[in-house]
Amino acid sequence: MRLKYFCHALSDQNPPQPPYSNPNTSNNTRVEQPSRWLIVWAGISIALPVLLLYLYSCSNQTFQFAGFELKQILGNQDIDAMLAELDEPENKSTQTLPPQVPAIALDSNGNAIQRDTNMAFISNPNQKPFSLPAYELPIFADTTKHRILLIGDSESGGLRYPLNDYCQANGHKLILSLEWYSATTFNFGRSDTIQRIIARYKPTYIFLVFGLNELYARDLKARKIAANQLAKKLHGIPYTWIGPANWEEDNGINKVFQSSADSATFFLTKKLTLTRAGDGRHPDVQGYRVWMDSIAGWLQTSARYKMAMKPPRKRGRPFRAPIITINAAKYRGY
Amino acid sequence: MDTNWFNQIFAPLQSPNLLNNLLGYSTKEPWFFTEFSFLAVFGAFLIFYAALVQKNTWRKIYIIAFSLFFYYKSSGPFLGLFALMIVSDYLFAIAIQKNTGKKKKMLLWLSLSYSLSFLLYFKYTNFFIHNCNNILGTQFTDHNLFLPIGISFYTFQSISYLMDVYRNEIPATKNVSDYAFYMTFFPHLVAGPIVRAKDFLPQILTPQIINASLYKESLLRIITGLLKKLFIADYLGKYVDIVHELPSNFSGGENLLAMYAYSFQIYFDFSGYSDIAIGIALMLGYRLKENFDNPYSATNVTVFWRKWHISLSGWLRDYVYIPLGGNRKGEFNTYLFLLITMLVGGFWHGADHRFIFWGLAHGLALALHKAWSQLLPKSKNPWYSQLFGMFLTFHFVGFCWIFFRATSFGSAFASIEQIAFHTQWKDFTGFWLSRQEMGILLSVAAFIAFFPPSIKERFFTKLQVLPTFTWIIWVLIALQIIIQFKDDVVQPFIYFQF
Repeated sequence: MRLKYFCHALSDQNPPQPPYSNPNTSNNTRVEQPSRWLIVWAGISIALPVLLLYLYSCSNQTFQFAGFELKQILGNQDIDAMLAELDEPENKSTQTLPPQVPAIALDSNGNAIQRDTNMAFISNPNQKPFSLPAYELPIFADTTKHRILLIGDSESGGLRYPLNDYCQANGHKLILSLEWYSATTFNFGRSDTIQRIIARYKPTYIFLVFGLNELYARDLKARKIAANQLAKKLHGIPYTWIGPANWEEDNGINKVFQSSADSATFFLTKKLTLTRAGDGRHPDVQGYRVWMDSIAGWLQTSARYKMAMKPPRKRGRPFRAPIITINAAKYRGY
Repeated sequence: MDTNWFNQIFAPLQSPNLLNNLLGYSTKEPWFFTEFSFLAVFGAFLIFYAALVQKNTWRKIYIIAFSLFFYYKSSGPFLGLFALMIVSDYLFAIAIQKNTGKKKKMLLWLSLSYSLSFLLYFKYTNFFIHNCNNILGTQFTDHNLFLPIGISFYTFQSISYLMDVYRNEIPATKNVSDYAFYMTFFPHLVAGPIVRAKDFLPQILTPQIINASLYKESLLRIITGLLKKLFIADYLGKYVDIVHELPSNFSGGENLLAMYAYSFQIYFDFSGYSDIAIGIALMLGYRLKENFDNPYSATNVTVFWRKWHISLSGWLRDYVYIPLGGNRKGEFNTYLFLLITMLVGGFWHGADHRFIFWGLAHGLALALHKAWSQLLPKSKNPWYSQLFGMFLTFHFVGFCWIFFRATSFGSAFASIEQIAFHTQWKDFTGFWLSRQEMGILLSVAAFIAFFPPSIKERFFTKLQVLPTFTWIIWVLIALQIIIQFKDDVVQPFIYFQF
């Protein structure tokens, strides 16, 4: 029986001594016999853990150990299937939302006012007009003045300046910029910070921009749950969820956000090419301006909650709205 | 059974690129020991190895074939170049052995220049073109050259073999497969340690079959190596990368900590890699020489170079410093030879002025230390002077690493300027507040690097008491720790600039 040798090689015990052996030589000194079975066992002890971790990574089940989720090796996860499974359509705020504002202004009879344009993307909200610079976009008819709340990670610290320019040019008011350094979906999803700020400042429109710290995240399932929680907190208030300014391809965080946000409220920043600041990650001043221009164009034409966003004549206006900064390293919010 | 789970397990097998993934090569993502797929394949490799280990020819063929496959996966067609080099070295060595006198010397020079020509062409052509253009104002264009993986290492091995045969220290191998085995042996193939033919060739025919303690030792080496490389070094590297992208954006304190972090990163990276290589070779029954011996506990630069990348410093000593004349040709020449040797060492690391400067700085320090130790009478070395020596050596070495890591001379000087003139106490408190995890890991790394080696050894011996069948669990835990920290994004900013 070969298995006997194999088990024996692993047992760390002295081989059973034949009765006629000299008891003086082998009683207390352990003789370690070389064994080919140990080479086999070495192979198993390297390959099997890798195989087990691979199997674990293929499953949708995650385990916890001492409060920490055991992460999986990415590369084989079916992100789309996982997101579809976790999507909660009944929680999506379709029913409670204010009606969509039409992209094209209507006259008193309910007919669309004919514009001197034949741009395809106006009639087709799915087509995003990135090819056009903001100043060439049609002027948006709805001129509701919004009280805008900007919430995000460090990116919001750069985006608030061009957003401020746009607000001043269009009569909106940027009432607060909440800049939560290093924040992730967990901070926003699990904390009640956003509810409290909404209750206090009563915005009519919210911009969310974060995710730059999560490009490499692999625990997408946990983040998806947090993103769903976050989406629930935004019920009843028009919002736009701006994706992170990827400096390289992410592990699927954009997909998570896109699936959690309501339809046409998510702006995919990933495909923009932005100039970067010295750290190579954040956009620089010019990058933020280009980014905001693209968002503005999209907001006028394709967003679910459209708003007037004509390009400002003057850039770099002084920023007067209050700023709240939080550091996620110190304050997790939950 | 969950069909979704089942499908995902076999998804790679259904991929249309299956053959390409298995048999293709990627020069951009080389297939190193640190890849999990390598570990899985190596495990399977070992199981078959057990069947062949006692059959000399088959074992040799099996390992050579796997090594060539390993090399092919990361270098593709350059495998041909490697094979050409092996065959020609083998023939040269036989020719050198058969001849005597002037002819022997000529053959040696011919073979050495032939071996070196590959390295010089692939590694240094563009460097010379740039310098030529800068100095002479010529307009040569760059060659689009790919540096074959491991060429720096195996060229040095081939030189050591040819020189040893020339010096009659070893006989030329009679069988080309023996030499091929020595050159291609995959644990040391791509990134060292640089193995001497003298040490390795005698082992080829008599590999050890591992016993329980060797099994534990080798697995412990692999586990610690993986943790050192993939956990500590890679995590520290994330911070270093951020700072060195634009050092002037960061405060003096952050630059100083980046210098420390890089010193530990490069040590844990390379010594971890060497640990894995030594562990893997040991599992196959071959013992490679140690490559690191607690280098940061060195009390002066000379000792540092005896403990750091031992296989390279030993190679430089035996095949550059001593053939030049060593310390036999007068005091001045000794210093000169030291400088030249370290320049070669610096230049070997990469074709850039920064590496030459790095080599020069170390050469000067070695010469300075030699002169200093000759001036002073030999006396007892009290503990506080040892400690001071350790502090000084570590900081000198770390300072030189800045040139090693920085993207350019300008960026290196910017980093040094920040450290020298803009370091404040609040930089460190800020660092601790915003990057606690990094701070903790940095202290752990320092603790491991400076810990007395005797206690470390005792600890590792204690670990080997653990029974053989439990070691699979330690491997599993180590791999899970690596996965746990692999993708933590280190915050790329402290002070956001606007």
